[in-house]
Amino acid sequence: METEKKRILVVDDEASITRLLKLNLEQTNEYVVRGENDSKRAMATAEEFQPDLILLDVMMPGIDGGELASRFQEHPKLRKVPIVFLTAAATKSEVYARGGKVGGLPFLAKPVEISEVVACLRQNLGQGTKK
Amino acid sequence: MSAEIAAKSKKQTDEQAALESEQRYKRLLASVTDYVYAVTVEDGRAVSTFHGPGCEAVTGYTSDEFERDQQLWYRMIREEDRPAVLEQANRILKGEEPPQLEHRIIHKNGSERWIRNTTVPRKDAQGRLVAYDGLVYDITERKQAEERLTRAHAELAANEEALKRTLEELKAANQELKQTQWQLIQAARLESVGALAAGVAHEVKNPLQTILMGLDYLVPNSPTENENVAMVLSDMRDAVTRANSIIRGLLQLSAQSDFEMKRDDLNALIRRALGLVKAQVIAAKVSVTRKLDSHLPPVKMDRGKIEQVFINLFINALQAMSAGGVLTVTTRAGQFGEDLKISESAFRQFNRGERVVVAEVQDTGIGIAAADLPKVFDPFFTTKPVGVGTGLGLSVVKKIVDFHGGSVDIQNAAEGGAIVTLVLKADSD
Repeated sequence: METEKKRILVVDDEASITRLLKLNLEQTNEYVVRGENDSKRAMATAEEFQPDLILLDVMMPGIDGGELASRFQEHPKLRKVPIVFLTAAATKSEVYARGGKVGGLPFLAKPVEISEVVACLRQNLGQGTKK
Repeated sequence: MSAEIAAKSKKQTDEQAALESEQRYKRLLASVTDYVYAVTVEDGRAVSTFHGPGCEAVTGYTSDEFERDQQLWYRMIREEDRPAVLEQANRILKGEEPPQLEHRIIHKNGSERWIRNTTVPRKDAQGRLVAYDGLVYDITERKQAEERLTRAHAELAANEEALKRTLEELKAANQELKQTQWQLIQAARLESVGALAAGVAHEVKNPLQTILMGLDYLVPNSPTENENVAMVLSDMRDAVTRANSIIRGLLQLSAQSDFEMKRDDLNALIRRALGLVKAQVIAAKVSVTRKLDSHLPPVKMDRGKIEQVFINLFINALQAMSAGGVLTVTTRAGQFGEDLKISESAFRQFNRGERVVVAEVQDTGIGIAAADLPKVFDPFFTTKPVGVGTGLGLSVVKKIVDFHGGSVDIQNAAEGGAIVTLVLKADSD
């Protein structure tokens, strides 16, 4: 069964958020989650973890989410991995403001309930709605 | 014979005494008046007039001139004053003692003089009027002084009036200045609140995310036998929701750049906003009355933002009607200051005749305390119980409406409840 689980990489500088996302998502038995709190290490972690989807915080020290997203999209092995932004920036326009490359990608506005996160993951992983 | 001589001598003495007495009387009169005239009366009619020697100084005419021309005294009187002088003469001829009269004469040299004319009757032993004396005082200087004084008074009164007007204008200007200053302070406060909000939003939302996901994890994993745990977790979730709505409100206050202005139908937007709060309307046992002007011109607006404005106003109205009531939404259009019944002072930025669209949201709730009215648009000002409102709803409304170049005012309705009036420019393009 483990092989059917989708692999989710969460990149967020807040350790409590990556930890709780892991706990909550893995509790559904649908996902395997890896958390990464250092944006500079995110690329290496992604190469190693080979995620099915990346949940990406936008405002982070070091490399911000927008920049990171464009690097993933340029990476030969990661370019097709769907990205969902998880952001404390309240409006879509603020996400758009962080470079055109970010625009068009789905995003979840913090604070978000886990049920919404799951619904969004399913949609972007082409899983359909289970519940 | 000696008795006859004695009688004759006495008569002469008596006549002498009478003459002396009359001369003394005339000297006395001359000393206290400017001149005296005497009118001889026969059978109640004036038959001749004699003007004393002082008359020339006052009138310019000599006694002889008056003697020769018996109507001169009348022609000399200024035309408008003649009826009063005739009245005075008629009264004394009837045996009355009329009060003194002040009137104008035209001096021989053409100048106007004021005189005071006092008449004194002379009667014979049987009490019949045989003559009367007119005592004339030249009061021109006094009258001129009086006129100068009256003019000065009038000028003073006019100056005082002008001063009062200036003072009123100054007061109004000062009031306006205070109002503008207050608005500037409010705007500055709002700007700083907005800037602060944008800055802290990120910092606050991350901890909120942690708490929310912590709750998401704890709810299915907490012991079911202790029902307090579920209650505490539910309270915590409510707290997160509340904190988040405050942050959202603050961000709406600070959001300026993402307005997307399009020509739109305000009525359609109001219907949509009413649809969005339908569940709350039903829960609050409130009935909705729509009085939407079907000929409303379009308005250039950000649909989402103005929808937010109406949702905030509707939610406020519903919260003010805890025991149910009626929510009335009205729209109308017109020329500002001409065919619209709205307080012009509250919407001063519009020009008279400017085509505007007015929307009113009225409730039948508790209304707003007079002391609270000036504060309702202040960020964080709320009269609602803790947890019910963030105190940002009306601040957001004002901010959005201001951005649209419109204006919003809130008052208590005469029939009870509150009425919010929103004025937006009609799009004439």
